[in-house]
Amino acid sequence: MATKNPATPLMGAETNMNDLTKRPRIGESFIQGFLFLCGILSIFTTLGIVYILTTESLAFFTRQQWENTNKPIVADITPEETVLVVGDAGASLIEEDIVRLGEEVMVVQSIAENTITVLRGQQDTIAVSHTAGLQLFRSNTVTLSETITTTKWIPQLGLFGIWPLLLATLMTSLIAMLVALPLGLASAIYLSEYASEKVRSMLKPILEVLAGIPTVVFGYFALTFMTPLLRSIFGEGRVEIFNTASAGIVVGILIIPLVSSMSEDALHAVPRALREAAYGLGATKLETSLKIVLPAALSGITAAFVVAISRAIGETMVVAIAAGAGPKNFELGKDSITGFVLNPFLAAETMTGHIVRISGGDISYDSIDYNSLFSIGLLLFSMTLVLNIAARYFVSRYREVYE
Amino acid sequence: MDNMQPIPNQSETTPFPEGEALKNQIQWRHRQGLAWRLLFIAALLIAISSLIALLYNILNDSFGYVVVINKVDPQRLALDVVEEQILNTANTVSSEDDFELANGIANDSNGIGFFGIAYYQENNETLKLLAVDGVMPNAETAASGEYPFTRPLYLYTADAVLQNNQAANIFLNYLLNNVNSEIETVGYFPATSAAYAAAQQRWLSANPGLGLQSGQWVSIEPDGMAGTIRVVGSSTVFPLTQHMLEQYQEAGFAGNFGNESVGSSAGLAAFCSGQADFAASSRPIQSGEIEACRNNGRFPLEFQIGTDALAIVVNNQNSALNEVSTEQLQQIFTTATTWNEVNEAWPAQAIQRYIPGADSGTLDFFAEAVYQTSLASLPKDDLVRLLATNISTGRGRALEREQRFYESALVFEDPATWNEVCAAPAGERPSGCIAEPRTQEEVYDLLLAEVIQPDVVKVYNLQNSLLNRTAIATEAAALYPNGEITFRSWLSADFITDPQSSTPEFAGVRTAIFGSLWVIFITILFSFPIGVGAAIYLEEYAADNRLNRILQTNINNLAGVPSIIYGMLGLAIFVRVLEQLTSGAIFGAVESTASANGRTIISAGLTLGLLILPLIIINAQEALRAVPNSLRQAGLALGATQWQTIWYHVLPSALPGILTGTILAVSRAIGETAPLVVVGASTFITVDPSGPFSKFTTLPIQIYQWTSRPQAEFRNIAAAAIIVLLAMLLSLNASAIILRNRYSTRSI
Repeated sequence: MATKNPATPLMGAETNMNDLTKRPRIGESFIQGFLFLCGILSIFTTLGIVYILTTESLAFFTRQQWENTNKPIVADITPEETVLVVGDAGASLIEEDIVRLGEEVMVVQSIAENTITVLRGQQDTIAVSHTAGLQLFRSNTVTLSETITTTKWIPQLGLFGIWPLLLATLMTSLIAMLVALPLGLASAIYLSEYASEKVRSMLKPILEVLAGIPTVVFGYFALTFMTPLLRSIFGEGRVEIFNTASAGIVVGILIIPLVSSMSEDALHAVPRALREAAYGLGATKLETSLKIVLPAALSGITAAFVVAISRAIGETMVVAIAAGAGPKNFELGKDSITGFVLNPFLAAETMTGHIVRISGGDISYDSIDYNSLFSIGLLLFSMTLVLNIAARYFVSRYREVYE
Repeated sequence: MDNMQPIPNQSETTPFPEGEALKNQIQWRHRQGLAWRLLFIAALLIAISSLIALLYNILNDSFGYVVVINKVDPQRLALDVVEEQILNTANTVSSEDDFELANGIANDSNGIGFFGIAYYQENNETLKLLAVDGVMPNAETAASGEYPFTRPLYLYTADAVLQNNQAANIFLNYLLNNVNSEIETVGYFPATSAAYAAAQQRWLSANPGLGLQSGQWVSIEPDGMAGTIRVVGSSTVFPLTQHMLEQYQEAGFAGNFGNESVGSSAGLAAFCSGQADFAASSRPIQSGEIEACRNNGRFPLEFQIGTDALAIVVNNQNSALNEVSTEQLQQIFTTATTWNEVNEAWPAQAIQRYIPGADSGTLDFFAEAVYQTSLASLPKDDLVRLLATNISTGRGRALEREQRFYESALVFEDPATWNEVCAAPAGERPSGCIAEPRTQEEVYDLLLAEVIQPDVVKVYNLQNSLLNRTAIATEAAALYPNGEITFRSWLSADFITDPQSSTPEFAGVRTAIFGSLWVIFITILFSFPIGVGAAIYLEEYAADNRLNRILQTNINNLAGVPSIIYGMLGLAIFVRVLEQLTSGAIFGAVESTASANGRTIISAGLTLGLLILPLIIINAQEALRAVPNSLRQAGLALGATQWQTIWYHVLPSALPGILTGTILAVSRAIGETAPLVVVGASTFITVDPSGPFSKFTTLPIQIYQWTSRPQAEFRNIAAAAIIVLLAMLLSLNASAIILRNRYSTRSI
């Protein structure tokens, strides 16, 4: 905006300098556009996660697994015939069953004695002639109710009951919470209400160091320290080498810094006036902390707890290393609930542990195992998302009150 | 508390206590407060002590004693080299029969040699004994260990022999009974009383039928005892056993005996294969020989029966030499040809050497005591020769194709084949064609891995190693008699510079460190600009509308998504959908040999980039928010555009905060394991990653895999790898602090 003659005022009729409307700046618009794209990328990430998890889960629930019925056809058929003569052997079919003969897919329409009527060439396959003796395969899909109601997860046998994995996750998370909540909250109260500034500045970094240690190191710690410790306390016969208790306790230790720092923030946000009022009424420090400050910071502390649960559920390496390498399948009514199903000293694979173990091996992308991992992932994602939203709600509540 | 009632009976119903009760209540409340306070402190201490336990556990596993069993004894290999040198020196006569040596020196005025002192005693008119380093060998200097070449003499036998051959059993009893009074006449010195007592005790344990307690002793008369006794072995021990056998016969033994002087090694071999009842040896039995014995069902028992001081002798007429030093001995038996080369005062005549043969324990002892070589200090040529004699030619060729031994010479390969192989196009040419030849250390490492093959059979943790050293030594000796106990630091320079290996003793983390660095490089490249850009958009540009609120909420929620979900996203998007891009196929960068599909460094880096993106955005937002508004307003007021204000004013003052936040996020990415396992880190690669399209492994992945192995030694290297990882994180965090301090001082 340099002018040739400083004596001339900035506003000159010829130079149009008095036009103060915003001029278009292409460069800046590009920059702003780029920055916006950076911001919007996170939306795409979320959409990507949701899209991937749901499509793969849908594939999991719709993927046809062909099960041999051991039922052969007993007469040759041409591409046009729709009536198959079948043998007595093998599993019986029902109407609407999707069956496969060689490469060709058919739908059963009606069943008579020793013959079935079918629609030929379904699902983009071409009707061809087949020779006698070929066996029928029946299509099988995993249903949602099946995953929710059955209690065995054995992909090789086509059994996909989510409970063994889910229970293991819930158990490790519960144990972790039993460790992390009291210890984390008590540490937070001490640091926020009791500790002098000097002590605080000494102890807090230690908790931060704990928070900065990679989870795989905690996994190592669980396996080489916590498990032997538990085994020496409760007996080697009762505690398996891989067990949910050890993994849960260490996940708890890992979460302590999170609980403690979030709770401390919440306690810190409580106005001084509240404390002073309590002291003024003759309350002791403990009474002030427990009966005045703690309830006042409750929503923030609840948020800390909820985030901690979400973290425990999603925690992977510790449980992958220390909890066990195989789902603890059980049968309701047969296996003892406290002695086996909910026994924390036995090995059990969690949802995250299962995902890591299966995807760490040589997994084929075109398999039901691969799809099943994503449906576990979807469940995991939903659980943590709900918890995170809940936590955000609680945080916003205490923000509203005090800020 | 309902206080509305007018004037109640105060002493009964008031909720407010008075006097003593009030005092008690206050005291109780304070005690309660104290108790809770202690509880709070305890909680914090538990959290802190778990950190200490974690670090302690890692250190405990990273260092400590190990019991190593070598397939081949490295000391043996080193001695072989030295002995070969000694034997191949010109003007050297070697014989297993020490009488021959003694006669040879007696008839040669320039002769020098060494053998058991008994042979000198027999020929002391014609031979002259030399002092070594100023000490003459005699009973006193041998007992005190002052004479450097003092060594025990052994008789080896086995339980089976003592039980089945009573003649041998009673002979041993007789020998242990009388050897100390007879040994002087042969010319050797008695064993120490402790060794003597141990030998007696061993005989007692082999004869439990006598019902004697330890410390007791019985001497059995050989009267009329029949049978056969065969002794084979060391020529040094021979005069002693011969003398004792003759005495035994005089004392009433009615059977026959055979005594052969063939050298310690040959004697032990004969004994182990069952051809003799006793092996006489001038050196302790070696681990390989114990193994051979055990394979034949013979568990060797060791009896020290005397002490020898190795005599260095010259001809009686050699007036110049009266004493030698160890260094002079080294020269005399290898490099020197004439006496005056060693010492100018000595005659200028050629040295004639008379030494025991290769099978002799005496030569082993001499080589070990005089030359004190270790395998690691041998020159490269010797090491290569050792390697060549101990591995198959096929293996040698493979090693040579991997990396040559010499710049201009080939050891295993045929030159014609080599030229043919190296003429192949670049991709198929073995690495040996271009790589630098192996250094002495590399050849030594190769020798360790290929020939010596140390196998760690037992590990002790650091705490035990420091506190129970003696207990460990005794336990290890009992469990692994042929094992060697050493203190091992699993974290070593070799551990950091070696690639992965399937044997924990040789495994290293170099591949993993490079993998981690590459992945992190991609992560930063991707997530730093985008993260900061998003933060700038949200803080500086975004109006408070619905879209931007959703953006913000979304970012906050993303920060709480479990890392493994990002792994699944990476697997589905980067590895599968974008395979053409992430495998490098689109750029023609795929090597024919390494088919990584989409499971490459770039996939891993982008996955981790997405994972830490929300963290970077949130941290950068906070840093931007901390920049005072007046700065922006000042910029705008001066006519700067919004971008100019941001670029020249807001960003520089927010930079320290942004960098610190980014580094914290990056340290999170360095430690991440689960998403990389899901994306498909390689389980076993030994080749360093060469670019963004290589297969990879990272430090945390390595730790995970090693921790999951059942063998104990893998835990140790996992612990060592954890130390490397923590050191990496620590230095990163330290650099964050330094960076922050530098920038913040500059901007003030």
